[in-house]
Amino acid sequence: MSIIQTIGLCKSFGEKLALDGVSLSIPENGIFGMLGPNGAGKTTLIRIINRITIPSSGEVLFSGRPITQRDVEKIGYLPEERGLYRKMKVGDQALYLARLKGMSQYDARMGLKEWFERFGIESWWDKKVEELSKGMAQKVQFIITVVHKPSLMILDEPFSGFDPVNADIIRKEILRLRDEGATIVLSTHDMASVEELCDEIALVNKGKLVITGRVDDIRRRYGNNNVELVYTDADGCHTQVLLRDTDGASTLRTFLDKGVQINSYKELMPRMNDIFINLVKGDESNSQDENLTSEGEEHNSKGEEQL
Amino acid sequence: MNFRTTGIIISREYLNKVRKKSFLITTFLVPVLFAALCIVPSIIMVASKEDAKKVAVIDDSGIVMPTLSDSETVCFSDFYGRDLDSVKTALESLGIDAVLYVSAIEAENKTVQADIFSVKPLGVTLSENLNNRINKAVESYRVDSYGIEGLADIMKDVKADIKLHSYTIDEEGKENISESEVYMIVSLILGMIIYMFITLFGASVMSSVIEEKSSRVVEILISSVKTTELMFGKIIGMALVALTQFFLWIVLTSVIVGVVGAVSGNSLLGGQNPAEMLQTVGGVDAGQAEAIAGAVSEPGELSMIISTLSNLNFGQILFCFVVFFVFGYMLYASFFAAIGSASENEADSQQLQIPLTIPLLIAFFIAFYAFKAPDSAVVFWGSMIPFTSPIVMLARLPFGVPVWEIALSLVLLVATFALCAWISAKIYRVGILMFGKKSTWKDLWKWFRQK
Repeated sequence: MSIIQTIGLCKSFGEKLALDGVSLSIPENGIFGMLGPNGAGKTTLIRIINRITIPSSGEVLFSGRPITQRDVEKIGYLPEERGLYRKMKVGDQALYLARLKGMSQYDARMGLKEWFERFGIESWWDKKVEELSKGMAQKVQFIITVVHKPSLMILDEPFSGFDPVNADIIRKEILRLRDEGATIVLSTHDMASVEELCDEIALVNKGKLVITGRVDDIRRRYGNNNVELVYTDADGCHTQVLLRDTDGASTLRTFLDKGVQINSYKELMPRMNDIFINLVKGDESNSQDENLTSEGEEHNSKGEEQL
Repeated sequence: MNFRTTGIIISREYLNKVRKKSFLITTFLVPVLFAALCIVPSIIMVASKEDAKKVAVIDDSGIVMPTLSDSETVCFSDFYGRDLDSVKTALESLGIDAVLYVSAIEAENKTVQADIFSVKPLGVTLSENLNNRINKAVESYRVDSYGIEGLADIMKDVKADIKLHSYTIDEEGKENISESEVYMIVSLILGMIIYMFITLFGASVMSSVIEEKSSRVVEILISSVKTTELMFGKIIGMALVALTQFFLWIVLTSVIVGVVGAVSGNSLLGGQNPAEMLQTVGGVDAGQAEAIAGAVSEPGELSMIISTLSNLNFGQILFCFVVFFVFGYMLYASFFAAIGSASENEADSQQLQIPLTIPLLIAFFIAFYAFKAPDSAVVFWGSMIPFTSPIVMLARLPFGVPVWEIALSLVLLVATFALCAWISAKIYRVGILMFGKKSTWKDLWKWFRQK
């Protein structure tokens, strides 16, 4: 079941076509990565889902039926351009924005208290936003996005502006929210966190949907099934790449027969970063079937170990 | 429109503005100033009556001194024959404030030369007063010099001194004393207040929109509420602030004036020369003050003002003020909001504001004309055309306006407001998310047509 489904979304600003027939589906309960280069139409797509912008044509379904204004109460949105009222107190401001999302005064106060305690920032309640540092304001903004327990959260670059410690806190909160059943749409340029967090992605370029699907499937599809073998013999540690048409089993047997110690044997999957660059570049030169090469430097992947 | 969220927006706008120091200061300071305007001139008058200036006169012409008589503010002493320079240097030791020197008459052109010397500068009233007396003395000398018998009496006889009394006749044919000068002042005040309110609070709406846009909080807001709810919530919230301020002004001013009046007795508020009062207030120059006060400076002048004021239909004026302010303000505020949505900072908005400030200024000038010719064509049309009607109609009101004209003007105003609010909302919806480049009226037109 998908929480959001878009059908042939188009949006034009005057002459410029920002979205051109985007149809995608965001499955419930998971983390969905919204990728694309700058100016690809991601923000427009996100704004249409949020009902900030009206599409020129096409439709958005929320849980299978056309989205209405009431549904925005079930969406939490963290825009890329952060902003709060500078002269307003943190607590008042959070209460105001939570109530606009349909919470009662009481529920909003309770929910915010809980989140402020979780982040250990109760003392900020009566501070004005202009007294907070950028990172502090980001934390407040994250709370405002999630306090009304939305079933869909759209986070645009949620880690930008955070130091590694705080970015990790946010990362853990995102995972916790997913475990509690929320759907999270993550728009980011940080491909490492896409690989780490996202179950599915959609890549948008020049207003068009380039690819969508499960992260693992995409990486495998754009990989070349090369395998990396690491072994230790009398001379020390060696790494060897086995091309895809090599007979893996017999090669492995040869090595084993030599009596070397096999450290690892794993499929080389391209990094999302490379897939991204190649797809976007390929899109530009209109040749999508360009060979994707990325073997050799793969050390950080989630690729399954087969030995 | 979702009334719950609109209500939340209204209450935030309202509370946010009302809690501001600037609001509290203007709300409580202006009544004090209003009250001071009523009370202080009287206090000054009472206080300044004590010290009459002592003026020494060395009159070589011999025609001026006989015409000088002591009054409450000045007393003269004849220093004829004393040396001017020695008196000049010894002013303080002689205990006099000034020395007036009048030269001998120049036979050729029958004139004198007059100088006055003092340590401290003389008041404007005193020197004008002296100047008048010297002129009169010279005039009568000239009249006498023709040697025509009885010329002085003829001159006096020729001079007309007629005061026009005006009355308004109500439906029962009853005559009411009416002083058009009083209407003029009331009309001026009403026109000015409504002009001020529309400009100030309209600009407030605009800067509030700019604040949300430049701080980017607007994107979160409109992911929760519709842009129309946000825009109207803001406009209505600000209107409530304005009405709160207006009523607090009325209440506080009357409380202060009432309390001070009760404490000091009514003597402070009445019984003095209105011309002097107007001059002391300072806003009106002497000539104008004479003109205004001249009309009412006969016995019972204060009771005449009061009776004129009581002829005014305060219920109608208050009702019209509120209604014309609310819709006039909303008409302009919706445009101000649209302009705010197109600007990222106040400086950007300057240029876009010009088409809004021009009709406001025109309205203000027509309002000034309204008390000169309340029934002239320009004033009539000014009070009908929605962009000027709130200000001009209020200025016209004290002179009496037929109910059908008020109703027609209101209907036109409300209809125009509805149309303009719709246009503004369309511009606002697009503009609020436009960042980066400075917008022009052409952009606004494009946004309006964008679906």
